[in-house]
Amino acid sequence: MTPIDRMSELFRFLQADPVARARAGQSPHTIIHRQNKAVLRFFPARGPRQGAPLFISMPLINTWTIFDLLPERSVVAALTAAGIPVYLLDWGRPGPEDRGVRLDDLIDDLLPRAMDRASRHARSEGGDGALAGLGYCVGGTFLSLRLAHDPGPISTLALLAAPIDFHASGRLAAWASPDSFPLDDLVDGLGNFPASLMRTSFQLLRPAGQVAKWKGLYERIEDPGFRQLWAAMEQWSEDGVEFPGEAYREYVRRCYFDNALITGGWTLGDRPVDLGRARIPAVAFAADGDHICPPQAAFGLARAWGAPTQTRQLKGGHVGVCVGKALPAALIAWSQEQAE
Amino acid sequence: MTRSTSPFDQADIDLGTLSQDLYQQWESAMTTWWDQVLDSPEVLKASGQGLSTLAQQRRRYEEQVDSNLQRLHLPTRTDLIQVTRIATLLEERLLKMEDRLLEVQDQLVAAERETVQARIDAAEARIEQREHLAELQARLDRLEGNEPEGEPAPKPTRKPPSRRAPR
Repeated sequence: MTPIDRMSELFRFLQADPVARARAGQSPHTIIHRQNKAVLRFFPARGPRQGAPLFISMPLINTWTIFDLLPERSVVAALTAAGIPVYLLDWGRPGPEDRGVRLDDLIDDLLPRAMDRASRHARSEGGDGALAGLGYCVGGTFLSLRLAHDPGPISTLALLAAPIDFHASGRLAAWASPDSFPLDDLVDGLGNFPASLMRTSFQLLRPAGQVAKWKGLYERIEDPGFRQLWAAMEQWSEDGVEFPGEAYREYVRRCYFDNALITGGWTLGDRPVDLGRARIPAVAFAADGDHICPPQAAFGLARAWGAPTQTRQLKGGHVGVCVGKALPAALIAWSQEQAE
Repeated sequence: MTRSTSPFDQADIDLGTLSQDLYQQWESAMTTWWDQVLDSPEVLKASGQGLSTLAQQRRRYEEQVDSNLQRLHLPTRTDLIQVTRIATLLEERLLKMEDRLLEVQDQLVAAERETVQARIDAAEARIEQREHLAELQARLDRLEGNEPEGEPAPKPTRKPPSRRAPR
């Protein structure tokens, strides 16, 4: 393909209807519980059952479809095909009326209720109600806090690119410093923290990444699989979700300013929460090219968690790791290890 | 045979490799420059101040729009937020009731299981008692000589006690 052909192919591709290019979230599932904007989705196992059903806590700042981006790049499809039923907590899209939602509302009310409904549903499906837990990014940070306080029906925890040692988050930690980051002004002025601002800050973490993205598309424009994945990723990253204002204020203050998961002093309601008191086994998965949650930030779990903890590194970036083939295989292997 | 007059051909230069090299040099230079900018405390402070101003202006704008709508007797954004918040609070109350109902349901299931178990235990105790009585009756009959000696009354078969169901 000559450079001219390549460029014309690229323009043709970019002019095409984006909906026709990629459609995420297509794995068959049912909604079994709702609270405010949050939705608990159930993906039944498609093969002989193995291991405990998996309860997934997604990040607040993006849509859940990254775990079901394309049929051949879907984490939930791979897990259900391996016989693991999946309960996925999608936090939904907060509106302006949710600016007062606090972290306690999410971690101490919404999350345990969703875990309870998932467990009840698993019992009604013939299981014993025990679940395995998986948290991705911020969803993992929240899940670890909840499970350290009270694991409820969850017997094992896996975290994927979930920051625990926030002061090891590299450039993001430096930016979110009380000296330069006007946290209170932003929350008081904007209400919910806008998705566009979040996306811009993530893109600025690696400015050359934007050019590399287009270069990659130009170089592989003749590969239909790559084109489809590129479009799906692009659509997903443009489709951000706002962070509820008060929850964002608490999150940045406790996590980035105080690093409270490591230094201690976190409370749920008026009860202190200490990761060191956790009693269920855990594993921290990190992506080697992650610039949002570098491996050292994710592996902080091994230092803070009170029960046996493993650390495993996967190839990819913060988002790319979700569409690679290594993640489902690693999760299935972890599930099998825990079942033995 | 005509020879190429292009300076690239004469110098034996591969354009593909050349463009890759140029890109890598540009990327490396750009990354270094961006790193200096993005890690500079002065730049961070200035962008923080910029964000702060932006947020304050946005707040003033929202307040202005609200007060204009209020003057026109139209529902404001704040009114809509309050109404939606009330709906969310109502949903929360419903969910708390649902939690309580599910708890009661759990208690009922456990109580039902206990009742069934108690009835099984009582029935088993009654059967045991009856068997014991029959045994006593047989021994009494033997003592009174109603039955030939050496032929003891058939021992009643006993069922193993039922296992208690886990609660």
